[in-house]
Amino acid sequence: MLVAEEEISFNRDIRPILSDRCFKCHGPDAENQKSDFRLDTEKHAHADLGGYFGIVPGNLEKSEVHHLIHTDDEDEVMPPKDSNLSLSAHEKKLLDSWIKQGAKFEKHWSLKPLPQNVPVPEKISDWSRNEIDRFVEAGFVKHDVKAADEISPEKWLRRVSFDLTGLPPTTEEISAYLADTSPEASEKVVNRLLDSTQYAERMTSEWLDVARYSDSYGYQRDRERFVWPWRDWVIKAFRENMPYDQFATLQIAGDLLPDATTETILPTAFNRLHGHEMEGGIVLEEYRMEYIADRAQTFSSAFLGLTMECCRCHDHKYDPLPTRDYYSLGAFFANIEESGLISYFTDATPTPAMPISTPEADAEMTAAEPQIAAGEAKLTALRNAPETRMVFENWLGKRPSLDWPGLVADLSFDVIEDGKLLNSVAPNSPATTPPANTLVPGKNGQAIHFTGDDPLILPKVGHFSREHPYSASFWARPHAITARENFFSRSHGGDDAASIGYEFLLLDGKPTASVIHFWPGNAIRVQAKQALKPGEWQHLAMSYDGSSKAAGLSIYLNGEPLELEIIVDHLTGQTTEWTMDMKDIVLGERYRDRGFINGEMDDFRFFDRRIVDAEARQLFDQTYLADLLAKNAAELSESDRGELYDYFLATAYDPYRLAAGELAAARKRWNDAMDPLPSITIMRELPEPKPSFVLTRGAYDSHGEPVTADTPTALPPFPTDQPNNRLGLARWLTQPDHPLTARVTVNRYWQMIFGNGIVSTPEDFGSQGSLPTHPELLDWLARDFVEHDWDLHHLLGQMVLSSTYRQSTVTDAATREMDPENAFLCRGNNRRLTGEMIRDNALAVSGLLVDKIGGPPVKPYELAVSFEPQVPDKGDGLYRRSLYTLWKRNAPAPMLVTFDAPKRDVCSLRRATTTSPLQSLVTLNGPQFIEASRVLAAKLMRTHGGDHEALIKEAFLILTSREIQAEEATILNGLHATQLADFSANPEQAASLLETGEAPVPSDLPLAELATNTVLINTMMNFDESLNQR
Amino acid sequence: MKNPLCTGFENPVGVSRRSFLNSFGMGLGGIALGSMMNKAGASNVSLGGQQMFPNFAPKAKRVIYLFQSGAPSQMDLFDHKPRLNAEHGQELPESVRDGQRLTGMSTNQASFPLAGSPFKFKQHGESGATLSELLPYTAGVADELCFIKTMYTEAINHGPGVTMMQTGSQFPGRPTIGAWGSYGLGSLNENLPSYVVLVTKEGGGQPITSRYWDSGFLPGKHDGVLFTPSKDAVLYLNSPEGISKGSRREVIDALQKLHEIQLAKTSDPALETQIAQYEMAYRMQSSVPDVTDFSDESESTLKLYGDDVRTPGTYAYNCLMARRLAEKGVRHIQLFHRDWDAHAGLPKAIQGQCKLTDQPSAALVKDLKMRGLLEDTLVIWGGEFGRTNYCQGKMTKDDFGRDHHPRCFTQWMAGGGVKPGYTHGSTDEYGYSIEKDPVHVHDFHATLQHLLGVDHEKLTFKYQGRHFRLTDVHGKVVKQILA
Repeated sequence: MLVAEEEISFNRDIRPILSDRCFKCHGPDAENQKSDFRLDTEKHAHADLGGYFGIVPGNLEKSEVHHLIHTDDEDEVMPPKDSNLSLSAHEKKLLDSWIKQGAKFEKHWSLKPLPQNVPVPEKISDWSRNEIDRFVEAGFVKHDVKAADEISPEKWLRRVSFDLTGLPPTTEEISAYLADTSPEASEKVVNRLLDSTQYAERMTSEWLDVARYSDSYGYQRDRERFVWPWRDWVIKAFRENMPYDQFATLQIAGDLLPDATTETILPTAFNRLHGHEMEGGIVLEEYRMEYIADRAQTFSSAFLGLTMECCRCHDHKYDPLPTRDYYSLGAFFANIEESGLISYFTDATPTPAMPISTPEADAEMTAAEPQIAAGEAKLTALRNAPETRMVFENWLGKRPSLDWPGLVADLSFDVIEDGKLLNSVAPNSPATTPPANTLVPGKNGQAIHFTGDDPLILPKVGHFSREHPYSASFWARPHAITARENFFSRSHGGDDAASIGYEFLLLDGKPTASVIHFWPGNAIRVQAKQALKPGEWQHLAMSYDGSSKAAGLSIYLNGEPLELEIIVDHLTGQTTEWTMDMKDIVLGERYRDRGFINGEMDDFRFFDRRIVDAEARQLFDQTYLADLLAKNAAELSESDRGELYDYFLATAYDPYRLAAGELAAARKRWNDAMDPLPSITIMRELPEPKPSFVLTRGAYDSHGEPVTADTPTALPPFPTDQPNNRLGLARWLTQPDHPLTARVTVNRYWQMIFGNGIVSTPEDFGSQGSLPTHPELLDWLARDFVEHDWDLHHLLGQMVLSSTYRQSTVTDAATREMDPENAFLCRGNNRRLTGEMIRDNALAVSGLLVDKIGGPPVKPYELAVSFEPQVPDKGDGLYRRSLYTLWKRNAPAPMLVTFDAPKRDVCSLRRATTTSPLQSLVTLNGPQFIEASRVLAAKLMRTHGGDHEALIKEAFLILTSREIQAEEATILNGLHATQLADFSANPEQAASLLETGEAPVPSDLPLAELATNTVLINTMMNFDESLNQR
Repeated sequence: MKNPLCTGFENPVGVSRRSFLNSFGMGLGGIALGSMMNKAGASNVSLGGQQMFPNFAPKAKRVIYLFQSGAPSQMDLFDHKPRLNAEHGQELPESVRDGQRLTGMSTNQASFPLAGSPFKFKQHGESGATLSELLPYTAGVADELCFIKTMYTEAINHGPGVTMMQTGSQFPGRPTIGAWGSYGLGSLNENLPSYVVLVTKEGGGQPITSRYWDSGFLPGKHDGVLFTPSKDAVLYLNSPEGISKGSRREVIDALQKLHEIQLAKTSDPALETQIAQYEMAYRMQSSVPDVTDFSDESESTLKLYGDDVRTPGTYAYNCLMARRLAEKGVRHIQLFHRDWDAHAGLPKAIQGQCKLTDQPSAALVKDLKMRGLLEDTLVIWGGEFGRTNYCQGKMTKDDFGRDHHPRCFTQWMAGGGVKPGYTHGSTDEYGYSIEKDPVHVHDFHATLQHLLGVDHEKLTFKYQGRHFRLTDVHGKVVKQILA
């Protein structure tokens, strides 16, 4: 094709060769250079290598490259023999010509800014309907090819209906279009299609592959998850024709918008649609890194068309993408409270998560909130009321004795009998321990020595939901200071229960108290700034006020309140429901967590209320409060009175305790409204970015240099006037001159409409990807798209209204041979309908399709034979469009997968179309298709009575959108005759065929006829033209 | 055209099919079927690139991989460690553990008591392979087997572990071994898929997922095809009730006539494929029931596999099915059997597992041998990692559990060019670390592909700008185990 004199284009002719054959060793990867010679930039390629040169522009003889690619010496030749790479004679010639012409380098085409203006070629002939055609026709002239024939109007209508809505045209729509002789007839059709919910569903269906959407968590357990509200948001966005830049921005960073609402936060679920691991025992950080990587890779594939995964372990070998860029991009997606392991023992949604409320729940919470405020105000008012003071003075005057109301457990650890330890306030409910925990001399009498692996169980107390206050106190002697030790908890366990419940731990020796729905994002936790000492007895107490706020947690050491750091302060979920019967407080051990290993504990007490400071001190020194109470009222200092007043309110003043009960009830009302609400995984940015690092060779625990959030260096710089977070990233992405965003997007939609992208590797716009067949057209479309405010209706409309789109797939052998991949766009591409379209088509033509929009996923027949069989729905769920079919990553819908739907483990921008007999089995035998054939047969029999020829004729039109030809009719009429003879002779066979599917079988139609027509229609459904866009 | 390595499926139809057919003088149906069923030498790899597979004469034509999911305990079956019995109940020396990461399930344990195997070990056959009393049938074929005692992996949990064994990566998304084989070598038959999966029915323990036979980024037709022990062994295999074989033939004939009209009008090669596709579907409707119908098996063969063989979906049934599929030219037969994950109650659980699997596994080797199929069929038996030498959870007098252990485990291979009656590598006396001749998962994969005549560095697929292969950027053929 290329004549020797033609000017060499670096990007078109040379870069693909260098990238593929040379860059692996002489490319941009700084680490893996096999030699000092680099070919990735002009400067490197022309450099003086010590008296000799790789390339001397214009001088073949002095250029080592020229000699090494031509040499016969097996040890010298480039690429080396053992690389399995080689250059063709043509390629060597190209390289030589390039060197002769000056060996100029160019920036890779897709990294150049999007041009401001792209001139549209002159119109050459009347073939051109719009600008797209003028670009394409210019190519025809250049390559001396001709456009294929124009398809018939009804075939265009079929093509455009499937492409824009995923559904076939009805026969009425066909007639109407054929009858419309106005010049705008086609435009009217396109507008009708674009302005439909079916269009939004079709566009959503495609976006689900990009977003790696699934209704389950993936990995090994693959439990179902609640993410369909995100899918419904996407449908709504397409239905409203939301500008694409906004569509992208909301999904990347809707939570960070200044006026963020639940409506703008919901789209960010996009980032969290990756798999979540639920297999107990994994290393959490390894998977957290994997999720961050998935988010960053999905972002870069979907929006930038860049294959960032290559630079996870090393600098990209082909594109100017260093490893550092990969982790800098990842840093945008790292700053959320998430866990690498999600909860096996609870059904909590992994955090960050957002509840999806109902009007009823909203009303209930709105009603509860003033009650909570009123409850809190009432406590303050009571505390400040002169009347309360009077009652207090009166109480003081009576010399009250020390009392411990609310003490529900008191363990002295002095005696173990048969594994039982006395709870002196509930002698009938002793605590229990395995024999491995033993008694040793303690702080007061005996203490218990914990192994760390053996639980001491305290039954029946502390079964509190999160509005309920509680307190605990004990002596502890840690054996050593370690990363993590459990004093006590009421919980199913650690990581694989998301630490649900409440717990009191030592983390690096620091006392830490938490109440948790899902660690780390839905919890409250405070931590002492000070660590305990190993080997010494120290007294600890903690209390919680039932507020679900971190400020409601206190910790005391040796009677003094500790200065605390708030680690997390976001608790909105229940803390008491898990799947197994582990309902009691456990001391010294915890399921799948580190116990209080070789620690000792004495005098454990538990209260069903919040203790006050004076009580904590009393519990430590056994005298403080008792002494105060024993004093004459007149001897008390102001601060003594203050301490006693708190004690009085907490333990002796009924109105105050009643008010506290009312407050708890109001909190419970709010909690009860919130708890049943399902939550969806979303993004919620942390105030401080999490530390991010280059991970050496991609290993999660191998930290290299620290990185901060930044965009890839080969692309435009991050704008200085934008916040350095995902919102800034989205603004950077959608700037009008961005080299990639619009190009990648219009290319993906071109692929959706034409079957192949202008760049045939939509996921890879780098140097290993394909070059655009029509670069100017791509740039023009991209610029035009941006200038029309990223309007998808406009973009798709001009594609389907072009003459390029109207070309037949039929061509002559010579053209096929010359242009096997249709790079010149001089015909239509053969395209099989997607699996979704094939199924939706059967439902639509039969009238079974239930056109309900959105909602929970459904289970059609095929899920009964998926790898994890499910009971199919009854009624509507069998007949919804395929984008609503429940998608389980580990057992995806088998019919859709047979027709090449990706498994959705990763972002996928292109479906390979394969051909397999397994597909034919689905459409010949699958109950969805047999049932649809039967229902359509019955419908047509009512129209045509016994006139089977008319029936076949109409069915053929319905299924192919064209009139049947005589020879085709002969074949099908012949089939009708033999089938009818069979079924008439074997009526029981007819009856059993008709039993397929839930739809009722009409009792008034002749069975043999109905069975025959069912087979006829199923045959036509399997006809090439009904499954393919030819 | 850019095509340095076997970049695979760029577009096999790209080369004019008609001129291809003419110049190679092949029949129409033949090539269409070939491209669809990916017949060796007729499709993607040879057309799309310059490489041809196999690269050299294969020793194995097909693979039967008996995957033992959940991880069998190597020191209770193969890797005899008397030292563990001598120090039973004593703490695992810190010097042996050497700071290796443990799973989240036992990492918090305060104590790691060593657990000796309660089972007796003996040497068997001329090769003198040491096996536990739990494997009497395997012992009977010991001279056919090649034991690799030094397999190791990085994965410490099931999902990542099985994914690693099947794809060479711990994370989902890459093609499985069988998919690579189907892609690179094509099919050996025209009536059955080239990659078939059989999963033991029921059984508890860690779930098996369809991702374990996924084609990853390879074209979807290289997915493993699951044969289930139900009416339809393959998805929607059977015609609906009421449709006779004759009726179905009439439908296929009508369709073919319609397609031939189209073909005549358009000369579009895609129609040839369409015709072949429906013909093939029709043939599969009888070839699959033929292969799944055991009525032609002799009583002595059934006896060899044990009574379970008569119950569809059992491990024994699947082992016999594997032999039948091998005979019919299925390239890669992947069995999954689960429930080896004995974190607790190991002594009892492992006896049950061996009862289900020992006899059929050995029978398969014997049966293949008797039929002369063993020499070009590679049989592999193994799990995703090993189990710890220390007890997980509470140790009692006659009960204990073992956690996951990636640092060494045993796998055996037989037939297909591996050395029979040979034991490769050794572990330390605690069975904790490898002492000699480690074999990484990537090495195993490289060796497996080598036996199939494939240079593992050459069978690649370009995806997202990178040439991927089963062995990633690693893997060395383990020459010592080659026959």
